[in-house]
Amino acid sequence: MTLAPESVARPAHPRQVITALMDEATVEAIANEAWTALVGEDELLVPVPGDLPADTVSAWVDVVGPWTGSVVLTTGRQTAADLTRALLGEAAPELLDHEDVADAIGEIANVVGGNVKAALPGPSTLGLPVVGEAPVVRNPEDVCRIDVLWRGQPLAVSVQGALPPLPTPSPVHDNPHPNGASL
Amino acid sequence: MTLTATSFDWVRQLVHRESAIVLAPGKEYLVEARLLPIARSMGLPDVGQLVDSVRTRPSPESTRRIVEALTTNETSWFRDGDPFTALTSTVLPSLLAARGPAERLQIWSAACSSGQEPYTIAMLLEDALPNATSRVAITATDLSREMVERTRAGKFSQLEVNRGLPAAMLVRHFARAGTEWQVSPSLRRMVTASECNLAAPLPRMGPFDVVYLRNVLIYFDLPTKQAILRRVRALMRPDGWLFLGAAETTLGVDDSWERVVIGRSSAYRPLKGN
Amino acid sequence: MRALVIDDSRAMRRIVSAALEGFGYETRHAGHGQEALDVLQEGYAPDLCTIDWNMPVMDGLQFVSAVRSNPAWRALTLMMVTSESEQGQIVRALAAGAHEYVIKPFTADALRDKLALLGMLPEEAHL
Repeated sequence: MTLAPESVARPAHPRQVITALMDEATVEAIANEAWTALVGEDELLVPVPGDLPADTVSAWVDVVGPWTGSVVLTTGRQTAADLTRALLGEAAPELLDHEDVADAIGEIANVVGGNVKAALPGPSTLGLPVVGEAPVVRNPEDVCRIDVLWRGQPLAVSVQGALPPLPTPSPVHDNPHPNGASL
Repeated sequence: MTLTATSFDWVRQLVHRESAIVLAPGKEYLVEARLLPIARSMGLPDVGQLVDSVRTRPSPESTRRIVEALTTNETSWFRDGDPFTALTSTVLPSLLAARGPAERLQIWSAACSSGQEPYTIAMLLEDALPNATSRVAITATDLSREMVERTRAGKFSQLEVNRGLPAAMLVRHFARAGTEWQVSPSLRRMVTASECNLAAPLPRMGPFDVVYLRNVLIYFDLPTKQAILRRVRALMRPDGWLFLGAAETTLGVDDSWERVVIGRSSAYRPLKGN
Repeated sequence: MRALVIDDSRAMRRIVSAALEGFGYETRHAGHGQEALDVLQEGYAPDLCTIDWNMPVMDGLQFVSAVRSNPAWRALTLMMVTSESEQGQIVRALAAGAHEYVIKPFTADALRDKLALLGMLPEEAHL
């Protein structure tokens, strides 16, 4: 049998969605390592989904490479402040300002994001942390998200693609003369 | 919370006696978090029952697991690096000179836990010898099946490879495996892991040129220490080298060993005629 | 001993400094590589720099290369402390002249182990 023309026409590296590259257990393991090392040795994330409050804050880093998207940490504002105190421990200032909280949750997003990136096919680059309203989900298929409780408070880590879904490819077998122009 | 004040105090006293480390009041959560995996691996539902079980039926192995889990340093790669420096500076050159080129050096890591010690030895030998894989065989043993399986897999978490493993060795001898790091196939080929209870008659192994038996004897009473040293000695070559933990010695336990100072560490060699 | 802690996150600067001070170091801070170079050029002579990778203005890798290109700073020990943990990046940092590499997240114990490897732990902190 000779090489079928349709296999030649296929792109060498089809863009993969995150669920083909990483599962929720991996995201949870990465987040838990960050929590036990940075927040405290008994600070576990419990995989129980809770309803995020209306007033949330997100911190994220962008990953650009074979897979491109963001690693987003979202939680309630009060939980973000508690997280900042726990992270800083004895080094925490008496009064936390907005910048302290933004900086701390940005750094946690950076640590989780760096390790998510390292578990993905590379090489990729990691952006600086951004804090604000989470980037929108461009493709619901390209999301790997965990919802957990930390000290009973809900928190989400979402690894989400930044690109819109690819157009559905035309069914290969129904098309004996594929368009070779894609090469 | 399953840990009673009495159980917590028992754990504190144990850890202080065995490691001189003081667990401050309020560290109950730490004891819970660190000991829960041990309780689960023994089929017990919680840490309270683990403590009860070990208190009623004390065993050096469970004691060692508890102390190790609560003294984080045990998991470092080059923890107390002197016995490893001694291997490449003194022991290896002397053994290579004494053995024929076709003779395979036999090294035993006698309480290998999750594998840091045997793979540290394997990395050092691979860096020091051009044909380490065919020249050296490392036997890694532990009482726990779980630890033996972890050693065989040779996979370590990010937090584990962060503990005292030089970055140059990490990138040379490991490959990323998802969120973990796995030691290279050639190192895994050098290491054979199996279950072994040091407090019982030992299986047919060796004879060993080098034995690492570190931080094990401290958990046993004097007659058991003596029996272990005797059995280990029977598996060693007459010109072999034994490394113990920094706080351990054969002196006053078994007088059939000669203590040799190598740099900042000590090795013990079988005395002739005993 | 003195350390210059270089990280764009002030939380991380505080965490690293607290650990180093616990081992007996005196510390100063910089928020990116250029600020750190300025501190060195002013004459501050630390024994150790801990260096984040991703920072604004000048990243950690550029900082390592800049330090290594100046013979006056040859004695300075450079330790990356970063969440960048692809194998290829660790190789790049070591090739550029970093002495050690700590992957975030880390514990104070992990920092102490690496400093012990480098012989950079003040004597009283060995336990």
